[in-house]
Amino acid sequence: MSARFIDWIWHIKGSLTLAPGQSSDDAFERLRPLFREVGTTHERKGDTLVFRKKDQAAQDKMSVFDGGTLRIESGSGASVLHYHLTSRVLLLCFLAPLLFLGFAQMNLVLAKFDKPLAEELEKKNADKAEVPMHSIDKFLGAPAPEKKDEAKDKSKDKEKDKKKRLPTPGYVFAGIFAALYVVGRILEQRLVRSLFRKNLMEPQEPLLARA
Amino acid sequence: MNGVRVGKRMIGTQAPVIVGWENIPRVEGGPIKQFVFTWFQPTVLFALIAFWYYAPNSIAKASTAIGIGIGFKVLLLALEWFFPRHESWRLTWKELTTDLFFVGLGYTILRTVETYIGDEVWIESIQHYFDADKFTWFLGMPLLLQAFLISFIFDFGQYWMHRGMHNWYPLWLPHSVHHYITQLNINKGAVGNPVELFLIGLGIGGFFDFLPRAALLAGAIGMAVGTYQHINVRFNSPRWWRFLFHTTEHHSVHHSQDFEASRSNYTNTYIFIDRIFGTCIDGEAELLGMEGGRRMSLGEQMTFPFTEGWKSLKERFARPVAVPAE
Repeated sequence: MSARFIDWIWHIKGSLTLAPGQSSDDAFERLRPLFREVGTTHERKGDTLVFRKKDQAAQDKMSVFDGGTLRIESGSGASVLHYHLTSRVLLLCFLAPLLFLGFAQMNLVLAKFDKPLAEELEKKNADKAEVPMHSIDKFLGAPAPEKKDEAKDKSKDKEKDKKKRLPTPGYVFAGIFAALYVVGRILEQRLVRSLFRKNLMEPQEPLLARA
Repeated sequence: MNGVRVGKRMIGTQAPVIVGWENIPRVEGGPIKQFVFTWFQPTVLFALIAFWYYAPNSIAKASTAIGIGIGFKVLLLALEWFFPRHESWRLTWKELTTDLFFVGLGYTILRTVETYIGDEVWIESIQHYFDADKFTWFLGMPLLLQAFLISFIFDFGQYWMHRGMHNWYPLWLPHSVHHYITQLNINKGAVGNPVELFLIGLGIGGFFDFLPRAALLAGAIGMAVGTYQHINVRFNSPRWWRFLFHTTEHHSVHHSQDFEASRSNYTNTYIFIDRIFGTCIDGEAELLGMEGGRRMSLGEQMTFPFTEGWKSLKERFARPVAVPAE
């Protein structure tokens, strides 16, 4: 199977038409601030810019991406910016549901080794003991504590351990990450497109103001 | 940077740290906003105490506490979104996803591991060895005193565990990963190397499982105070609150890029424990993290304690290189 059938999972591709008459030099100059972030290196060769990111800052507007290529294609009409970006976090988010499903399955397997609860309840049949309640709590109207039942307490402990080994949290987090992936794949594609568009279209500051 | 002298230490010589409550900005806005962000924290705390004190036995269960905990976090996430303390700490999709990954580990694999080698296993052995009934004198005390003592003993233990992590290299290695976070958000408390998450999860809660209501009350106090450690929301916490309790401001100092500032404010809930032992710094910081704010990748977060530990071992036991005499 060719990688291009699955690479949409962590690759984001798109294109933007530049303003009429906008040169590739001007376009890359406007995009350059995006690649001056901490942990980002970039290299421009003609109409192509290649960048890499490592340990990118949380507030880096392109922090989701680890690398990519931006190419400007000049045609008879307006030039077009083609971008191809890769994101490891999108790939990991796509795979995360499998990990959490794995944890859920592991708990199902471990649950088979648990002793049956009913047997333990039969073994112990201690009398219920009164639990003291302080007079202040009686005066303030707090509910009386339940009577202490050794056998029930023991079974509750076992029940608590069993609950900790339920597959449910694994399923819930698998669902959460599946939803997060869908949201992230759509959101980040839109955000990066609008980021490029904003940088390419907005009027540049006068040189004096920048200095 | 000059820094500010706090006791015998110079704070803020490596990175900006604001020292002193009088220098910390307050919530800006109209009187309603001021009122809400001043009384939100105490109201939630006292409401939760009242709920767990009076809830019928059929409702006073761990499952209810988990539900309230999730609802509370969703509410605080909404507050972070609409009223961020710092734009530089704003939650992004990537930050939310990585934070939730660690939350997920805590609810799944770490919980499973805990049932085999966690605190409850050895607490059960200790209770069995010392005869658990000896602890039942605790039952005769007023409920709120029981709850306070449980949370205080827990926080006292956490204080020394955390202080140990900052002072003993083998414990610092797993904990250091948590200090690479560069912003505070509601789920950042869960971010760290799984070894540390397991260690920090060790507690004394299991000793008090014979006091279900007091344990739930203690948990509610911990939640209604400790959750604000990692949050991107500014509150005008009342003076008594910030004297007694660990606030976002305290914790931001602890996560500061300034080394001396980071060696302070070790508690989870009761900052007065830090005051007693001289490790409290009242202040706040915005620039957080290690190595000048380098954000660690997920892969490095998983392997860092082992790779760094291996490097340190190699350096320590490396054969000395002969240096020719001149």
